[in-house]
Amino acid sequence: MSEQNMSVALDRDHRGMTLEGEEIAMEVKDWNLYYGSKQALQNINMQLPKNRVTAFIGPSGCGKSTLLRCFNRMNDLISIVRVDGEMTLYGEDMYAKQMDVAALRRRVGMVFQKPNPFPKSIYENVCYGLRLQGLNDKAVLDETVEWALKGAGLWEEVKDRLDENALGMSGGQQQRLCIARAIAIKPEVLLLDEPTSALDPISTLAIEELIFELKKEFTILIVTHNMQQAARVSDYTAFMYMGDLIEYTDTDSLFTNPQFKRTEDYISGRYG
Amino acid sequence: MKAWFKEGEHWVWFSAASVSISVVLVVGLLLMISIRGLVHFWPHEVYDYQLQSENGQTEQIVGELHDTKLKEIKNSESGMIEKIPQFLMKVGNRDIYGIDFRWINTADIIGRQDRLDNGVTVIERFEYGNVYGHLQTIIQEGQVVAEQKQVLPMMHQLVEASQTLYQRINHIEKVTLGGINYQLEQLRLEQKKLQAEDQYDTEAESALNQQRDELNAEFREQQAVLKGLYSQLNRMGEVSLSLAGGQVIQVPFKSIVRFWQPNNMSVFEKTGFFFNSIGHFLFGEPREANTEGGVFPAIVGTITMVILMAIFVTPMGVIAAVYMSEYAKEGLVLKIVRISINNLAGVPSIVFGIFGLGFFVYIIGGSIDDLFYEYALPSPTFGTPALLWASLTMALLTLPVVIVSTQEGLSRIPTALREGGLALGATQSETIMKIVLPMSMPAIMTGLILAVARAAGEVAPLMLVGVVKLAPELPIDFNAPFIHLDRKFMHLGFHIYDVGFQSPNVEASQPLVYATSLLLVLIIVGLNLGAITIRNRLREKYKALGN
Repeated sequence: MSEQNMSVALDRDHRGMTLEGEEIAMEVKDWNLYYGSKQALQNINMQLPKNRVTAFIGPSGCGKSTLLRCFNRMNDLISIVRVDGEMTLYGEDMYAKQMDVAALRRRVGMVFQKPNPFPKSIYENVCYGLRLQGLNDKAVLDETVEWALKGAGLWEEVKDRLDENALGMSGGQQQRLCIARAIAIKPEVLLLDEPTSALDPISTLAIEELIFELKKEFTILIVTHNMQQAARVSDYTAFMYMGDLIEYTDTDSLFTNPQFKRTEDYISGRYG
Repeated sequence: MKAWFKEGEHWVWFSAASVSISVVLVVGLLLMISIRGLVHFWPHEVYDYQLQSENGQTEQIVGELHDTKLKEIKNSESGMIEKIPQFLMKVGNRDIYGIDFRWINTADIIGRQDRLDNGVTVIERFEYGNVYGHLQTIIQEGQVVAEQKQVLPMMHQLVEASQTLYQRINHIEKVTLGGINYQLEQLRLEQKKLQAEDQYDTEAESALNQQRDELNAEFREQQAVLKGLYSQLNRMGEVSLSLAGGQVIQVPFKSIVRFWQPNNMSVFEKTGFFFNSIGHFLFGEPREANTEGGVFPAIVGTITMVILMAIFVTPMGVIAAVYMSEYAKEGLVLKIVRISINNLAGVPSIVFGIFGLGFFVYIIGGSIDDLFYEYALPSPTFGTPALLWASLTMALLTLPVVIVSTQEGLSRIPTALREGGLALGATQSETIMKIVLPMSMPAIMTGLILAVARAAGEVAPLMLVGVVKLAPELPIDFNAPFIHLDRKFMHLGFHIYDVGFQSPNVEASQPLVYATSLLLVLIIVGLNLGAITIRNRLREKYKALGN
């Protein structure tokens, strides 16, 4: 990290960014993350609007996935990770000592880069989270499974084979099943970590359309490598570089009129 | 040639050769124990030889040919070495001849060789082994009731009738009287317990005595039935046979297990007899210091011990593995624990036996006796080698295997799946219970398969912690609590050792050693196949996991 970059990062305060008329779901203040002694995120400040799609773009290793995993405390699993700063969900401190992490993760769902369905039936995959909450009423489960699968645009394809093993589905179907599984417990925020990077173009399109539908009900944060995808699906876009949040604004302005040279270089394909 | 070496062709040949040698050895082992063991059950033909003994007298020998050896004898005239076959004959009639196996020199045979005697009958007895002879008469209460041609059909009838009687007697002795005895023993212990607790008053005494009287009355009743059955058996009389050498022997029907005329049997009948013999071997009680009869108690003991061992070792091993790979922090301590566990697998099994005797039997068992069974002392209840301690010792012996394979299984579960569970709001323990462990089941089963194979085959530690030559009772029976952890038991592996090395009748026991070995191998293969089937079914369920 050169001196110049540091100064760029420190000069910027995104709290001032105009999110007029938006209700704020999450807020990040002075956020730092360290892998052992190596700092991976530096002084991140941002607000995430409710019922909007916010995309995180940037070259590999810039920390966008790491930041996303902070939003549901997935980094807790890595013993060498250490964080400081403040992160709130509707004003509630997510990293407070008394916070029930499992309960937080029920409010902030996540879909991973590679589809990871459980080796169970399609039906059991979707109601896994519900069963965890002790819900065993067949009628309620049936209804929720149908709702979630419809929400994930998968219902028509699988409604006749809900008892089949989920591992027998195609990659795109598996990923949509993972989305169905995540929304079945009705989280407030949905984190998507490069959800289409392992999928073919048709499955990708299906998921992009799905994201568009889902933002009516959920606040969506998506990490993507694909700038066209960010441009297509997101309302706001954050560009990250080497652990810094360089630029964060509405998607149209970021892609048409970037304020920083790094952003411009990246979106015009000069590196990354 | 140089090119041949350069291409590494010789390595291919080397590895192919070592694979072939291993295959040949395994197949050879199985073939040898199968053939040697199974031949024992096939009805041998009975030969009749005339022998010329040195003093010029002739002698008749009737028996089964069991083995042939070549003896080298130097001819005194020509100086040449001649090889003369020696026959090992099973002549039976141990009560008359003293031994039932004899080596004979074929040079002494003057009678027609291999003249098969059609009328010869073999009778298997409960005591003193087989009788080889010719049926003469059947005598009941001092009267000859059958002669010549009438003997055989009547004999069939009587032996069948005596078998039925024996089954009833057996049932009464083992199940009914055994049960009453067991209850009486429980009453005696209860009395001792009450006395030790100082609560043995007249009320308790009369209650106990009443129960005891009821049981004793039933006991006497059953005994009367038994006596009737036995006298019925005695009244069946006896069959007289003429033996080689002209002696006549009377065999009472009550001592006959079964009889057959091997030289008159067709292949079909012989096959029937073969399977019948296997049945006797599998489901019969051992007789004559284990050199005859069956191995049923040893089969039951082995399987019970192995299943108990599996019940003990699986949860212990799995929990330990889960803690080590999911919860414990990586570091020096964990490393040391891992190394220790791996080394535990290499500790000689007899050491585990010593530990089991010293720790489980004397310390734990002794303490249990002191705490809960003090009234029964000085006779120990759990402070003595028993099924429970044998299973626990075996569980300890196989623990490393289960831990190591479970850990391997756990480490193969993709992190993505754990994260998937956690991201849905599962706690770590919920993720382990609902996702990680079910998916590691194939690996856990692999560990269990290895553990079962090892435990079923071990003999040395068991000799110290619970296996005996002859157990009076099975570890499982019809008396509550049905499985008796405090009993000693028989084990196939120890049975092999005992029959093979501790038996007075070497020739008789040799085929039994092979047969029992074959059975042990088959049981282990059977247990393993069961576990492998379950594992494969689980694997099938998770097969798409690899991608």
